[in-house]
Amino acid sequence: MTQQVTQGHVCIDDLSITFDVRGGSMVALEPTSLELAPGSFTALIGPSGCGKSTLMNAVAGFVPATTGRITIDGTPINGPSDKVGVIFQQYALFPWFTALDNVRFGLKRLKLSKSEEIDRARAAIAEVGLEKHAQKYPQELSGGMKQRVAIARTFAFGPQVMLMDEPFGALDAQTRLVMHDLLLGIWEKHKATVLFVTHDVDEALILTDDIQLMSSGPGRIIKHYPLTEPRPRKLNRDNIHLLETRDEIIALLHPSH
Amino acid sequence: MAQSPHFLWRVARQSGAVVSILFVLLIWTLFSALNIVPQAILPSPASVWSATVEMARNGTLALDLRASLSRAVIGFAIGTSLGVLVGLLTGRLVLMQVLLAPALTLLRPIPAIALVPLAIVWFGIGEGSKYFVISYTVFLTVWFNTHHGMQYVPDIYLRASRSLGVSRVREFLTVIIPAAAPYILAGIRLGVALAFLSLVAAELSGASSGIGYRLQEARQYIRTDRMFSLLIILGILGAVTDVIVQRIGQRLVHWQQG
Repeated sequence: MTQQVTQGHVCIDDLSITFDVRGGSMVALEPTSLELAPGSFTALIGPSGCGKSTLMNAVAGFVPATTGRITIDGTPINGPSDKVGVIFQQYALFPWFTALDNVRFGLKRLKLSKSEEIDRARAAIAEVGLEKHAQKYPQELSGGMKQRVAIARTFAFGPQVMLMDEPFGALDAQTRLVMHDLLLGIWEKHKATVLFVTHDVDEALILTDDIQLMSSGPGRIIKHYPLTEPRPRKLNRDNIHLLETRDEIIALLHPSH
Repeated sequence: MAQSPHFLWRVARQSGAVVSILFVLLIWTLFSALNIVPQAILPSPASVWSATVEMARNGTLALDLRASLSRAVIGFAIGTSLGVLVGLLTGRLVLMQVLLAPALTLLRPIPAIALVPLAIVWFGIGEGSKYFVISYTVFLTVWFNTHHGMQYVPDIYLRASRSLGVSRVREFLTVIIPAAAPYILAGIRLGVALAFLSLVAAELSGASSGIGYRLQEARQYIRTDRMFSLLIILGILGAVTDVIVQRIGQRLVHWQQG
């Protein structure tokens, strides 16, 4: 049923990132290696300031590697790549464009004809269930709807790798559940490799194939939890393994509890 | 009965400028009726009105308005286009910023009126010197706002546009300029006000018509009634154009609230 995904292979090799700050430098990420299999869904979880967003920004090409390197399907990352789409916590929609035009903006790189571009943008908007809101401006949409537009904008151009930086962090719990279903549906259809930064343990357990746990000071990956439970998942007694994993991660994140 | 003051208060709040203007007119009328100050120093509202009618009848008002407005409009147009253009360049290109921004910042405190002698030497007493003085003032303010607006383009917009792989030209035209547009428009609005402020200074460089010129002429004949009339007209012109520019701005930057 599932076709083999061959593209979107992310290799992070001894990557470390140091920022220049006033009067010296600050290590944001200790040397870290991580491999994301094509089509896999990985959560990067950890306390704030542990470097998880820095790691994601490096894969996005926003932040240069201090040492080590990142490759996607063998090509080194030295800046934003055609293969990579990014979803931001603050949506990053352009308020001067309608929802449809925001999606069209992301399709410009494909150099389609105008009608093809509009058709494809409409299809992407419909895929996230917003066909009735295509002509609205972002400020007329709720938080959840804005993030749907951002998801449509990013998936529409067909990235092989999808980076999501706490994409549902600003949404209420109810909306977040709806967005989880929506995201899983779209991911199963497009089969991109997803790197999902969050600090919500439950979200990571419900969505992903792998949880990479990070610690702060210095930022590095300390533990890997592969998850094999079939989706859709629920955090209840039928999934004892998930509940145990959750307890363990929470204990590691908050050692005092 | 109890809600009567509340009601009046609401009417006053909603009437905009009307109540304020009526209030000032009332004080002015009372003050001049008391005859504490001679008419030649503080003319009555009635005499200011008749001076206005007189200038309208003899044709000088239309002549002066046409002269002053065309100076303000042309000076404003030159200053604004150059200001936006240079601001876009210094705002995005480091080389342009290093070469121009500090020098332009040093020019900003120089008032328009101080440029009048230089303008006369450079451009003579014709229209050129007026355009120069007005466009100089407008240019610096519009440049300053545009330049700074470009610095405040949120990083997340740039990251989004880079990750969506659009060309640098498209990013400049459809992300950076719209993101800076509220600042640019604020600069243009200030530019309109400054065009009127520097207009009077510009008309000091020798003119035979214009509101600034007519004010000078009124001084020679001690016609304070005309002076009041011209000053009020200048104020109304400035306020009306400000409202127009603000309305156009709200349309253009429709996504900006408040």
